[in-house]
Amino acid sequence: MGRYVVVRLLQMIPVFFGTTFLIYAMVFALPGDPILALAGDKPLPPAVLNALHDRYNLDDPLIVQYGKYIGGLLQGDLGETFTGQPVGELLSDRWTVTLQLALTAWVFELVAGVALGVIAALRRGGIIDTLVLGGTTFIIAIPVFVFGYTAQIVLGLHLGLFPTSYEGDWPGSFILPAMVLGSFGIAYVARLARASLIENLRADFVRTAQSKGVARRRIIGVHTLRNSLIPVVTYLGVDFGNLMAGAVVTEGIFNLPGIGQQVFQSIQLQEGTVVVGVVSLLVLVYLLVNLLVDLLYGVLDPRISHG
Amino acid sequence: MVEAIAAPPTGEVEPISQRGSLWQDAWHQLRRRVTFWLSALILTVAVAMAVFPGLFTSLGPNEGCNVRRARVRPSDAAIFGFDNQGCEYWSQVVYGARPSILIGLAVTVFSLLIAIVLGLLAGYYGGWVDGLISRLTDIFFGIPFVLGATVVLIAFPERGIWAMTLVLVLLGWTTMTRIMRGQVLAVKDTDYVRAARGLGAGDLRIMRKHILPNAIAPVFIVAMLNVGNVISGEATLDYLGVGLQFPEVSWGLQLNVARSFFFEFPHLLIFPGLFLTATVLSFLMLGDVVRDALDPKLR
Amino acid sequence: MKNVVRRAGWAAVLTAAALVAGACGGGGGGGGEGQKASRFSVALTEPDHLTPGATSSSYSITVLQAIFEPLVEIDPKTGKPVMLAAESITSTDQKVWTIKIKPGQKFHNGEPVTAESFADAWNATAYAPNGWTNNYYFENVVGYEDLNPEEEGAKPKADKLSGLKVVDPNTLEVTLKAPFSQFPIMLAYTGFAPMPKAAFADLKAYDVKPIGNGPFMLDGEWQRNRLIKTKAFKEYGGPRKPKSEGIDFKIYASRDTAYVDLRANKVDLLTTIPAANVSEAKGLLGDRFVSTPGGTMDYLGFPVYDKRYAKPELRKAISMAIDREGIVQAVFNGTYKPMGSLVPPLVPGYREGICGEACKFDPAKAKQLFDQAGGFTGTLNLYFSNADPSYEQWMQAVANQLTQNLGIKDIKFRKIPAADYLKTLREHKQDGPYRNNWVMDYPSPQNYLESMWGAGNRMGWENKEFQELIEKANSAPSMEASIPLYQQAEDLAIKEMPMAPLWNWQDQAGYSKNIENVTIDAYSANLDQITVKK
Repeated sequence: MGRYVVVRLLQMIPVFFGTTFLIYAMVFALPGDPILALAGDKPLPPAVLNALHDRYNLDDPLIVQYGKYIGGLLQGDLGETFTGQPVGELLSDRWTVTLQLALTAWVFELVAGVALGVIAALRRGGIIDTLVLGGTTFIIAIPVFVFGYTAQIVLGLHLGLFPTSYEGDWPGSFILPAMVLGSFGIAYVARLARASLIENLRADFVRTAQSKGVARRRIIGVHTLRNSLIPVVTYLGVDFGNLMAGAVVTEGIFNLPGIGQQVFQSIQLQEGTVVVGVVSLLVLVYLLVNLLVDLLYGVLDPRISHG
Repeated sequence: MVEAIAAPPTGEVEPISQRGSLWQDAWHQLRRRVTFWLSALILTVAVAMAVFPGLFTSLGPNEGCNVRRARVRPSDAAIFGFDNQGCEYWSQVVYGARPSILIGLAVTVFSLLIAIVLGLLAGYYGGWVDGLISRLTDIFFGIPFVLGATVVLIAFPERGIWAMTLVLVLLGWTTMTRIMRGQVLAVKDTDYVRAARGLGAGDLRIMRKHILPNAIAPVFIVAMLNVGNVISGEATLDYLGVGLQFPEVSWGLQLNVARSFFFEFPHLLIFPGLFLTATVLSFLMLGDVVRDALDPKLR
Repeated sequence: MKNVVRRAGWAAVLTAAALVAGACGGGGGGGGEGQKASRFSVALTEPDHLTPGATSSSYSITVLQAIFEPLVEIDPKTGKPVMLAAESITSTDQKVWTIKIKPGQKFHNGEPVTAESFADAWNATAYAPNGWTNNYYFENVVGYEDLNPEEEGAKPKADKLSGLKVVDPNTLEVTLKAPFSQFPIMLAYTGFAPMPKAAFADLKAYDVKPIGNGPFMLDGEWQRNRLIKTKAFKEYGGPRKPKSEGIDFKIYASRDTAYVDLRANKVDLLTTIPAANVSEAKGLLGDRFVSTPGGTMDYLGFPVYDKRYAKPELRKAISMAIDREGIVQAVFNGTYKPMGSLVPPLVPGYREGICGEACKFDPAKAKQLFDQAGGFTGTLNLYFSNADPSYEQWMQAVANQLTQNLGIKDIKFRKIPAADYLKTLREHKQDGPYRNNWVMDYPSPQNYLESMWGAGNRMGWENKEFQELIEKANSAPSMEASIPLYQQAEDLAIKEMPMAPLWNWQDQAGYSKNIENVTIDAYSANLDQITVKK
């Protein structure tokens, strides 16, 4: 077990550096001069331009820039934005918002998705099953921005059920965005839960339990559901990263000051330090969550062990 | 969003000795499903629009536009009304089919090819080959889709269908590769593969004749579902302003313009939205029924 | 997106305010009934900096106008300067200017506002290593070169402008390199605001909590991407005494969301209603919708150095093939003003429709002129940046019209990343017509003509006569005397048409039922005048 974790952690190192370097290289490869863009339509005297280039190491070759960046990173310095805000401060500030949103959406996916999946599985082939499958497919077929914008106008503005934009409170400001963000995952969770439950309901141990006269509810609750959750957990592990990164659109619509918003703007401004900082963080979270998921397997299914 | 397709393989695939009958069985299954015929019908129409737009409209893309007619609502003369540029909306929506469908299919095909090759290599040879491919997959898998795509696309001043395809393949091959690798691992140690090796078959032949046919089904299902997701993802990039651009016509671009006029001019949003949703939905449903047919356990 | 209208002189500076019920910071539902504070909130896009010399973003300027008192402000009716912090600004030769400062003014921290406060702020802005964007406004001050060495890596020789002289605590003398009759108007720009001594102890801290001399002061630090909270400055003694207890600048990442919030009464003033929503907003808000002519202009520039665009006739043909009226209706919901002159109406010396038929939509004549000029071969590339989706919208209309009216079939878009766009133009890499935008710095024809058609312009257009006229106008003894000379220069630029005027922006604002006395003009949203309904 301990050895397994160590090996996995070691494997993360090249992945982490590979991803951050790739992103840094891509931002670096973008044409144009970010400093000139900051000046907009107004002239920027060469002396000022040079001073700013120096401040953000923009005249160095790629590998030196990346080296300086990693060097700073190891000392806990993530650089600063073009507006002079330390990236570390920016991340810790925006991070919580995105985390709140992703977790809310996550819980929403898990609860609603599993519930729908279980109902559909128990009524397999019936109207409810068809409705669940059809309805969730329909939701994934609508582009998220159309869905989000419509939800904001109809549920937020016209019906007044939810705030139209961020108000700084949890969960009030997060419910609607989380529903929009999580709608995509619900469809998958529901399907996975349904498929896996159906499969397990046919397994021998369920038949045995049935023949012993154990109540149906108990069979589903205790014996089957736990096993059926494995694919769901796998999916949720992968999806957590998606939720945080996919929040770009949702955060934009609902004015949530989170990481997705920031990084999208930073890409356009070519703020390499911010982009790499955010993406590294996302990658790190993604890797750790997946490790956690693998460890969870052992808990959910005693047959799998990480010896 | 493309990355969310990661429906992981459930359980191991049982080796199929008579693969002809699997696909035949599946076809018998499919023929009896209404969903199959419905989605096939919608997709036929959509593909026809993409390939032969001339059958549906006499105008060319961006032809006969007049800004003075901008956003005129649907009427008998123009059943879909006019768009923000005063172009006849029906023909614009027809032309919107091509990029969506082309990108959806092209991205999936290329991703599938990459997935098959890399998945086979990694699963079959194991060792350092597997380690290298798996880490590479991890690296690309770790890049968030929208952000990665934005970074790359911003660098293309002239973004066309192929630039979009390239980017979406670059960020979209990982899931299928992982599934393929898992399948190959499961199939590799079966008796018939061992038997083939015992008979002196080469690596290439074993992979092609014995492993690939038995490992492909789940990957194929994911690929079917992937088409819809790619189309949706492409529209999202258009929406964010880093996707296709004029003179290209696409549903994503139309939706992007339309959202601001949602309440005053709902026709701008409804028509491309309807076509996009119907197409994506059809691909998803088709993927679903094919999966059901190929994997009888789920029925 | 954040960087959309990013750069602006203070013309496009209108931003929104809204009354927040109670004093909840980030907005928040209806707490604090009963003891409603007389505060309101303004919708804002995240500013880049709040140090006056370091920003020319219109969003920053909206805030800076509330917390700083510049030397002068501009009378929106006449376009002439009115004294604020200054008592008088005088010169005999348009070269050496004497600025007298009203005594007794205070910064928010109690420091007195003196001639030195201005000199310190200006020196810091002009000092290259600080990297402040308003640096170039000081190019015309004697001693500028010593602070701004051109060579890379060179150390500046001085950190103070030799052309600035503090005569006594209330008198500042500025010596310019060349006569400049428009100098007093320029001083209304927030980039010339004073800074207290306390600022220089820690400039970074100052940027998130600036100390100014204006009617409002910051209440706590700037909460990035969320809120900038201000309260009325009790000791403010100027003419802009605040009529409310404070303003909350609520920061939005998208104007669309801000507009939805205005409709939901969650924000009370939005000065940048998206063009797409204007006709809806007019209906919904009625009297509470305000449209103000601004100083911002859009142009279509031509690469005169490319021989396909070398003939004025061809450039005129393209100009005449564009249906400005139609595009304004379709893309901007009829809110912008199609232009037939190079300067907008609010600039002194504006002449309606002076461009004549060359700026009027006439497809038949355009085609005739086009054929006479020998037509066009190859791909016509249209250049614009990706900063705002509306650029693509109107460019698309232009492309369609050039195809239809002139028969140019092969038209392609060159949508350049915002970070690369101006570099492309500056280096003359564009080989086709391009979007050129100008945000007014101060209401003078000089600001438009010399900045865009003057030496080293983006079109590669060279005209000696034009150059001489501008120089003559700049050293004219008075504003009035300079106008006819600028007009002659404008006529020349129209005749050759290296750049065609398109339209003049109008700023669209809306406010909630919670506030009154909203008087927005082209130079300021006059936030101090706004009262909160009881």
